[in-house]
Amino acid sequence: MTDIARRVQNLPPYLFARIEQLIEQKKSEGVDVISLGIGDPDEPTPEHICREAARQINVRENHQYPSSAGMLAYRSAVADWYARRFGVWVDPKNEVVSLIGSKEGIAHISWCFVDPGDTVLVPDPGYPVYAGGTILAGGNIHCLPLLPENDYLPRLEDIPSDTARKAKILFLNYPNNPTAAVTREGFFDEVVRFAREYDILVCHDAAYIDVSFEGYRPPSFLEIQGAKEVGIEFGSVSKPYNMTGWRCGWAVGNKHAIEVLGRLKSNIDSGVFQAVQYAAIAGLNGSQQCVSRINGVYRKRRDMALAALGEIGWDITPTKATFYLWLKVPKGFTSESFAEHLIDRAGVVVTPGTGYGNYGAGYFRISLTLSDALLQEALKRLKSTLGRVSF
Amino acid sequence: MRLSSRAMGISPSPTLAVDARAKELASAGERIINFGVGEPDFDTPENIKEAAAQAMSRGMTKYTPVPGILELRKAICEKLFKDNGLEYQPGEIVVSCGAKHSLYNAIQVLVEEGDEVIVPAPYWVTYVEQIKLAGAKPVVIQTRPENGFKILPEDIVQALSPDTRLLILNTPSNPTGSVYTVAEIKALAEVLITAGIWVLSDEIYEKLIYDGARHTSIAAVSPEIKERTIVVNGVSKAYAMTGWRIGYAAAPAGVAKAMTGLQSHCTSNPDSIAQAAALEALRGPQQSLSTMVAAFAERREYILQRLDQVPGIKCGRPGGAFYVFPDVSAYFGRRLNHTTVASGTDLAALLLEEAKVAVVPGAAFGDDRFVRISYATSFENIKEGLNRIATVLCG
Ligand SMILES: Cc1ncc(COP(=O)(O)O)c(C=O)c1O
Ligand SMILES: Cc1ncc(COP(=O)(O)O)c(C=O)c1O
Repeated sequence: MTDIARRVQNLPPYLFARIEQLIEQKKSEGVDVISLGIGDPDEPTPEHICREAARQINVRENHQYPSSAGMLAYRSAVADWYARRFGVWVDPKNEVVSLIGSKEGIAHISWCFVDPGDTVLVPDPGYPVYAGGTILAGGNIHCLPLLPENDYLPRLEDIPSDTARKAKILFLNYPNNPTAAVTREGFFDEVVRFAREYDILVCHDAAYIDVSFEGYRPPSFLEIQGAKEVGIEFGSVSKPYNMTGWRCGWAVGNKHAIEVLGRLKSNIDSGVFQAVQYAAIAGLNGSQQCVSRINGVYRKRRDMALAALGEIGWDITPTKATFYLWLKVPKGFTSESFAEHLIDRAGVVVTPGTGYGNYGAGYFRISLTLSDALLQEALKRLKSTLGRVSF
Repeated sequence: MRLSSRAMGISPSPTLAVDARAKELASAGERIINFGVGEPDFDTPENIKEAAAQAMSRGMTKYTPVPGILELRKAICEKLFKDNGLEYQPGEIVVSCGAKHSLYNAIQVLVEEGDEVIVPAPYWVTYVEQIKLAGAKPVVIQTRPENGFKILPEDIVQALSPDTRLLILNTPSNPTGSVYTVAEIKALAEVLITAGIWVLSDEIYEKLIYDGARHTSIAAVSPEIKERTIVVNGVSKAYAMTGWRIGYAAAPAGVAKAMTGLQSHCTSNPDSIAQAAALEALRGPQQSLSTMVAAFAERREYILQRLDQVPGIKCGRPGGAFYVFPDVSAYFGRRLNHTTVASGTDLAALLLEEAKVAVVPGAAFGDDRFVRISYATSFENIKEGLNRIATVLCG
């Protein structure tokens, strides 16, 4: 449609939107489709969080406009959580801003630092919003391949220095969607050095920082000395507290970047419903038992999936974090043809790796955010449809 | 870290200074009468709060479809049909985080770098910032109090250029409270169709309308203009739900689809629980709305009467919203309490310091001969505030 502004025309169709369409189509044909496609926790928001929200809905002040930066009580809860969880000190007044889910900040940070023609360093495969925000601001994307041989960490030394000099933002995401990779000791230090050298804002997406197993504790980027001088970190209550629908997140870190993001977004929205901010506070300040419990659920499903997929022929190292598995496509298929094959023959939805970038080719992602019973059924279908796979 | 030129182009909010000073005085123990507010001073009705609590216990806590749940979009279609005579399908509706967010999405989707957007002044300042953010140029047209601050067809014709893309129309208006008549809207629609430009119709104050006036949506006056209109509305002002952050846009399918695409990249769905609340607001009993409008009507009557008695203040009779927008230029050049007043900004500062009354200077809306006084505050506050204003200005 010619009436639509180029920046929006240039956006790729949002990946999950396309998958949703495919699901709808099969469903309308009467197939009971099981989706391993979308990373939306299936469990309800914990009781104590809902109870707090229900209480706050009745409080008069909450019916009025929130501040777009977030209530100080909310920003303080985020800051306290950083202190408890990572030993990282941030100033709630100047180094924290509320977001309509972390997605909002990821999408809008490019408005703040990227002029048309500037470069943004975007991991590939990666969460599509890094590229989306860049495109909206008219920036150029320079892909950082995340390869299995590098444990899905970008090789900063491979970035040509003239590209690095033009770069304004570096996006990173560990624990990683879609690969489920985690960072390694020393990597974030390299990132800080790199960002300093080239004057780049590091935007670390920590959406999955609380989804981990067997004692593994994913680090915050802000734990690294000097990180606050070069970067910010995005997070939200979506994944740890099963609160995706509530839309509440934060950006934390570099004062300058936080201030600009807050000012910019005050022209886009008027902040998060305060009852929702209070619900998030209840999540952050309350017992973290619900987080361990839900991680236990994901771990059990992970093991279920690893066992079943192992029988079919996949050889997978157990993941340490996220509720995703990133798997190779069997011989004879591309990412897309394999995903289509599974929807068609098994009524099972997986996400083709190419949805996360060109380097996702040859892979697909499954998400463990469905009930154990449904997951069992999906795995059974995969087995009967695929038999034994080779690569 | 160098900022983008866009970020550098964002103006600091002109109301912020007054706001900050008012807060400072309040925290120092002064009793400030706040005529600056842009939201109803009523509670969200019970039935709406109840619907939200129920949605939560039903587990409506996950991602919803990006443009909002189907049931809400259906309810919006019903509302648009019933109230505005507009026929839309749910596929042409996009629910966002407040009307402000709907306006942002619409402007991002329709406006290219270098385009021009016509903005009648006085305007809600967010329009201008959102236009600049899209890399476009706001072309501001000053309207005249003699015309009730309404833009005329010939104003548009004069402002047109090959780059003109969009007109922003706001009726009832913030800050002036003006309400366009059907005839006026029809005349505007004609020139817009001839010129082939789009209109972004901000109808957020639709329900707050007095003296038997009727709200007309420009999209309703002809099929041709409907094809070039994005209607923006929401539940904030009508249902005292500003905090809940639900607004919506109705647009031709292609535009609605692009807005949904943009929103899927930038925020996902608006808060699921607030969507359930908005659904109840639209479909549930409308009694609390009439009660609120009756209260606003009474306050408006009173405030107009009182202002009429203050010499030098000229105030029209706004048909809608909850603002009056008096011309205070008669005070320019006068010395009041040792300062010479030269602008609405000066007068607002004076009223804050001397009367402890906060009003918004017209500069915030693109015309500093005026100040905006909101009557979204209690009758007692209005009475007290006007006493204080009268004392300072007549004193
Ligand atoms: C890597 C990553 N970052 C950010 C988000 C955004 O989550 P939210 O906006 O709900 O905080 C997601 C959600 O799927 C994600 O996978
Ligand atoms: C003219 C106008 N449009 C839109 C809005 C935004 O409303 P919402 O609360 O739905 O974002 C306002 C709020 O002040 C307004 O005055």
